[in-house]
Amino acid sequence: MKKLFTVIGALSLLVLSGCSNTPSNSDSEYQGQTLKVFNWGEYIEPSVISDFEDQFGVTVVYETFLSNEAMYTKVQTGETYDVIVPSDYMIERMIQEDMLQELDLTKIPNIENLAEGVKNLPYDPDNTYSVPYFWGSVGIVYNKNNVDINDLENEGWAIFQDTDYAGRIYMYDSERDSFMIAFKSLGYSMNTSDENEIQDAYDWLVQINDTMSPAYVTDEVIDAMSSGQKDLAVVYSGDAVTILMENEEMAYYCPTEGTNLWSDAMVIPKNAQNPDLAHEFINFILSYDASYANSEYAGYASSNAEVLEELSEGEFAGNDAYIPRSNYDKDEVFVYNKELTAKLSELWVKVKAH
Amino acid sequence: MKKFARMAYPYAIWAIVMIVLPMLMILFYAFSTQGNDVVQVRLTLDNFIYFLTEPVLLKVLATSFKIALITTVICVLIGYPAAYFMAKLGNKYQNLMMLLITLPTWINMLVRTYAWLGMLQSGGLFDTVLGYLGIGPKQMIGTEGAVIFVMVYNFLPFMILQIYSQLIKMDTSYLEAAADLGADRVQSFWRVTFPLSLPGVISGITLVFLPAASTFQISQLIGQGSVQLIGNVIENYFLTTGDWNKGSAISLIMAVIIIISMYLTKKADKESAGKRRAV
Repeated sequence: MKKLFTVIGALSLLVLSGCSNTPSNSDSEYQGQTLKVFNWGEYIEPSVISDFEDQFGVTVVYETFLSNEAMYTKVQTGETYDVIVPSDYMIERMIQEDMLQELDLTKIPNIENLAEGVKNLPYDPDNTYSVPYFWGSVGIVYNKNNVDINDLENEGWAIFQDTDYAGRIYMYDSERDSFMIAFKSLGYSMNTSDENEIQDAYDWLVQINDTMSPAYVTDEVIDAMSSGQKDLAVVYSGDAVTILMENEEMAYYCPTEGTNLWSDAMVIPKNAQNPDLAHEFINFILSYDASYANSEYAGYASSNAEVLEELSEGEFAGNDAYIPRSNYDKDEVFVYNKELTAKLSELWVKVKAH
Repeated sequence: MKKFARMAYPYAIWAIVMIVLPMLMILFYAFSTQGNDVVQVRLTLDNFIYFLTEPVLLKVLATSFKIALITTVICVLIGYPAAYFMAKLGNKYQNLMMLLITLPTWINMLVRTYAWLGMLQSGGLFDTVLGYLGIGPKQMIGTEGAVIFVMVYNFLPFMILQIYSQLIKMDTSYLEAAADLGADRVQSFWRVTFPLSLPGVISGITLVFLPAASTFQISQLIGQGSVQLIGNVIENYFLTTGDWNKGSAISLIMAVIIIISMYLTKKADKESAGKRRAV
């Protein structure tokens, strides 16, 4: 069955590569080759791709995904990519399942520029398999005119259970982030596998579903909060940066109960067709110019130290969401645990359907 | 004759690769489970038992069929009169009406649904108009009513066209005969026109009920995730949970229910057809 998928995938690749003609104004060793990149939506400044294509005389087939799980499912069905940008816990899983190849760091000199916040990350401390792309945390975007900051400071994540705000909240449609909020609000670790604590978190989320009539959204939250559809939303820090730029009634708050510190990083899968060019791409993305363009475009914290400093003092000055809170002991990094992931995912279906 | 049969081969191959194989895969996944390290795959009924003993999921199934049923009924109630009057119009206007009804379907359904998202959300067109009328602001997005509304909008053309094509080929001499025999217009509608148009209604119902029961984008976009239908649950199992076995089992249960209900509608249609001949 997998073979069938591979054949179909290969055929569609043939069609794709047949359609596109490579610009030929350079004579690099990669002239005319193709690179397949799989990244999050709204994560790259489009000109960065064309700059890379021009510089190396290659064609980039760029595809996007909405969640780590959707990406994983697609790769499992036999699609091959040269560079993928999963999150921390998914990288951990892919390393465990032997899906990634070791990077040749001598081909990625720009790794010198890594920001402090993304060095020595627990899932891959020596960058054996991955190089950080963006990083951030999860927080709350709220409308300053309609939400009392005292409520936020007193209740923290539990403000999503405060019926004063019923019908005015966006939850993020992902089991990982929703259970993180519940665990943190209840004072547990977000990596707990204790049955009772999971049950408590499930009840916590069901209560929101039953009493708050929440909307469950993903990327739509950016547009919705920018146009002020509702007053409270669970938002990734980078998306919050965009919302705050668009709508000055909105502000960002990161609860003191702790949050999830995450990072997305570039990896090269074992079955990559063009690993050499993939190294070039990773190195290119880490360069000052590309990092700057991407971070300014997406609003997410750059993995390049220089860019991070530049943008936090320039373009994003005063925007609380740009640089994630660091060295706060209640903030945690998500650890991959197969049984737990399956269980939370199952429970999340039930929460929404409750 | 044999030559013609040979011409069907490409289609047969297409059907096997694109329809039969995927169906077999779903069947296989539904009755199996990812085994442990020793046994790769294990046959089981667990996926079905899980679904049938989980009240939350059964409730979603019930909601899906309820919403699909309401959508279908509304489509018949609006679609029938529309098709009826269209069939009565002169030829020139019929073509114009046909164009107006099919025009929206030239645009991708997802795009049209996004357009409704913009119009129904707070601060959108409807909200603003209701505000001027002194009724609003009203929360429309994220409600079952909004989901049904957009479904009716999306699926209504299928209903109208099915009924219309049935009505248009009806022999008008039946109506003249009915009038000769002293039937008034109401009587001749209910005793002649309506029974003869039933096959169109039935195929209209099929074309509306099926997608309405299994949609997931409309409920995702317009229901904002707070209206969960069985299609969303299946999508979730495939894309997020990555549990293709449970997802397949639910799809299979869904398919069986739909096949049974289609069989019952076909049977009802045949019975009424039998009666028509008896008259």
